[in-house]
Amino acid sequence: MLNPSQHRNVIVSAQWGTIIAFCALTILPLGYAIFRLTDVTGMTVFSSMEKFFSDDDTLTALEFTLLEAAISTLFTLLIGLPIAWYLGRYKWRNIRMIRAILSVPFVTPSIIVAMGFLMLIDPGGLLDSIGIDLRLETGVIGDMARVTGWENPGHFIALIAAHVWFNLSLVMRFIEPTLATLDRTWEEQIRFLPAGRNKILRIKNLWLPLLAPAALCSACLCFIFSFSSFALVKWLTPNQDNLETLMAKSGGSAGIYNYRIDTSEVVLSTSMVQLLILSIAIIYTARVQKKHSTIHSIVTENSHQVANKSPNKLALITVIGAITYAVLPLILVLISSIRIRDARSNDHYYSFEAWIEAWNGSYSATAIPDALTNSLIYCITTLIVALPVGYIISSTIARLEGENKQNTARFVEFLSMIPLALSAVMIGLGILIGVLKWAPDLFSWAILPAVPHIIITTPFVVRIMLPAIRSLEPQYHEQAMLLGLSPAKAWWHGRIALLRAPIIVSAALTMAFSLGEFGASWILVRSGSWDSLSVLVDQLMGRPKFDPLIQPMAMAAAATLMFLTFILFLIAERFRHTDEGSGF
Amino acid sequence: MQLKSIICSILIMSFSLAGCIGNETDFSDECENGTLDILTYDILALSTEMVDKFVTESGYCVNFIKEDDSGGILDKMMLTKENPVADLMIGLDNTYLQTALANNLLEETSYTSNSGYQNITQTALEPYSGSMAVPFDMGPVCLNYDERFVDDENVSTPTSLWNLTGEDWRGKLTFPSPITSSPGRAFLVATIDYFESDDDPDTDAFDWWKAIRDNDAIFTSGWTESYETHYTGGYGEYTDGYIGDAHLTVSYCQSPGVEAFYAGNYTHSTSITLPKTTFQQVEYTGIINGAQDVDAAEAFIEYLLSTEVNSNMPVNNLMYSVLEGQNLPETDGYKYHSDIPEENSDIEISRINQEMTSWLENWQSATD
Repeated sequence: MLNPSQHRNVIVSAQWGTIIAFCALTILPLGYAIFRLTDVTGMTVFSSMEKFFSDDDTLTALEFTLLEAAISTLFTLLIGLPIAWYLGRYKWRNIRMIRAILSVPFVTPSIIVAMGFLMLIDPGGLLDSIGIDLRLETGVIGDMARVTGWENPGHFIALIAAHVWFNLSLVMRFIEPTLATLDRTWEEQIRFLPAGRNKILRIKNLWLPLLAPAALCSACLCFIFSFSSFALVKWLTPNQDNLETLMAKSGGSAGIYNYRIDTSEVVLSTSMVQLLILSIAIIYTARVQKKHSTIHSIVTENSHQVANKSPNKLALITVIGAITYAVLPLILVLISSIRIRDARSNDHYYSFEAWIEAWNGSYSATAIPDALTNSLIYCITTLIVALPVGYIISSTIARLEGENKQNTARFVEFLSMIPLALSAVMIGLGILIGVLKWAPDLFSWAILPAVPHIIITTPFVVRIMLPAIRSLEPQYHEQAMLLGLSPAKAWWHGRIALLRAPIIVSAALTMAFSLGEFGASWILVRSGSWDSLSVLVDQLMGRPKFDPLIQPMAMAAAATLMFLTFILFLIAERFRHTDEGSGF
Repeated sequence: MQLKSIICSILIMSFSLAGCIGNETDFSDECENGTLDILTYDILALSTEMVDKFVTESGYCVNFIKEDDSGGILDKMMLTKENPVADLMIGLDNTYLQTALANNLLEETSYTSNSGYQNITQTALEPYSGSMAVPFDMGPVCLNYDERFVDDENVSTPTSLWNLTGEDWRGKLTFPSPITSSPGRAFLVATIDYFESDDDPDTDAFDWWKAIRDNDAIFTSGWTESYETHYTGGYGEYTDGYIGDAHLTVSYCQSPGVEAFYAGNYTHSTSITLPKTTFQQVEYTGIINGAQDVDAAEAFIEYLLSTEVNSNMPVNNLMYSVLEGQNLPETDGYKYHSDIPEENSDIEISRINQEMTSWLENWQSATD
């Protein structure tokens, strides 16, 4: 029987062991990929970065990446703020369903988002019919291009619209909970003070301090996700590259000695610059998020759930508009799976032919049930590993904070966020090269594609669990111990039972992210029966489409993935606290 | 309780659907001789029925490892050189094969002494007839253009590649990059030969590529983006993502035939078959050096080259069969609309290997 001190030592050792294992899983393949690329190219990390800034192609890609990420962030905030405001300030029926619908885009696989928007902007499609031709850039958009000399403004606008769609829930998730739980008396009281006698002063002295950290936090994450966007840039702005698409184009032949060294140089230099920029963004995000958590907890501690009034017309229009915006591309994907072109007449008819074909599969296209089984195996494996690892890392951070070891806590938090700063291509390539070097037999291990999923989803588990663990009262656990429960039972009843909601939310989101993960899988999941649903969609879409069934088949696979994602999100929403301020 | 029910329902439903309605490729009882791993590209030359037949007859199961194209196959073979992930490759073409040979990525096949090998056409064996790889399909890469544009805009049909650098074609050309696309690479080789063979000693292929860039040509990473997204003459106009800002692209001389085959004998796409502007692409299959199961790979090569399978290349892989006496089908104008090159470019496979790196560098400089 262990005494409390020994028991604590075991737990602390286990925590550090887990953190070291997670870091090794993340950093070793990356380190090996960097080592291999420097060895292949004969460049150092610094000389590769010098080369990056002296090459026109990489610089153009960087400019485009920064521009699209900054504008996407700006518009996401501009559109997301009013939606969050109305959702938080009014009483909505079926609020969980509304939140789930508005949040689904964030976990929708990016390849599906790209397909949905392609259909939305399709010539002859919905937007084109109202005179906005973003694809062929005729009419107003064509005039805009001529007058401004801006090349392909339609494609750029489509990309921004897709990024806004994808990231909108981030703004909502950060801002709405603070607004929803804010005690209305604060507003009333400030009106009597000189600092709140007019609207501008109230914005300056009440709303800005309350909401700015949340807005900044969501803005940082919008920037990070738009910056590392891959499928959307690939499909929506075919004439321009961001850093991720630039790397993906060269990724296949990178890391090979004496062969296509230029591609290794591009991947090395671009990934280093991307790593640097995203690391800065993530460190800043962590800092802002801490501030936001503090403010949010002050708001929730000092407030009670107010009985909001029913939404006015403007609120109704805004929220209905947002819901329409959120579901439209997804509905179009669904319709496209049953809308088949008759190759002879070029008319369209509706049929389930593509579903049947995709469901049965062939040697050249994995059947949907097989891809679905693979996806589920990867996501369950991811869940089994990422959830406990994320919990342990969060607990360690909270413990270190409790012990006043703020710097160590911040360092562990930063380590857990590293995967967000990595390019999916680099993660995939690192694992591929690393595995081939150290344990070639693992290459045929069916669970291998789950490894990048674990790396990518663990930071999300940490982000969801950490605020909840921070807010846990240690007395519950102590009281459970005093009642004579065994350490395991005390841990279960005094801790895990209280974390049921964030655990379920993390589990659902981990599964959803794993189902939709594309970038790293694209590098690794090419081995026959390993195809996941998201890879299957891309494979079918990348194929010559002389046969009119190919595209609807891809959409059938996409629709299956969407259905699963939506179910998982409904489960997450059912267990989410209304006052939760974690952001996801 | 409710949550458990939901989760259980999803999992049970998903797995049962996956198990019950799965495709017909489960041959666990028939894999008595093991599994053959094949590295190939996404569109496959074989129908499900044909692979099923191979599995039943040979006792080998088949696992396909898929890459995007020829370049992807070579990349994967190079990357996994020390620990090959497959026994057989299907799909390296004659612009990539020599690199694979130079890097010892393939090992000898005994099929060259098989009687079936004698049935392969001289055209298919011309680029390479050694024992490391066997051709399984072929097709001439050439420029395709939209006849509607030429007719409607009164543009003259090009009689020289230099015509494409004129105002009529400004901003209306799209080319897949030879760095990342195999048809793009094949066309680059054709341009090298074309400008080496013309009467003008002062200009070479890269001067032409520079002029093409100056004529606002659109360069894409792959064939799909060029043909499907930008080209107005093909099926792309019926797909989502279509932009349709180019009337000429690189594809195959039989692509108009394929368009007609799928569209009921109608196409408005045609090919430019001027001498030396086309390149006979031949695709190969070969045993990967270090293969675990050479016998299975040999068995599959024999099956792939059998008349029963290879004669279906035009329909299954949209390419010509390599066997004597085979041609494109007449159905729905497939053969009628497939153009025959006047004279393919003629650059030796060994020279392609020696100079490809510098050609690609020059191409990049010319088009940057």
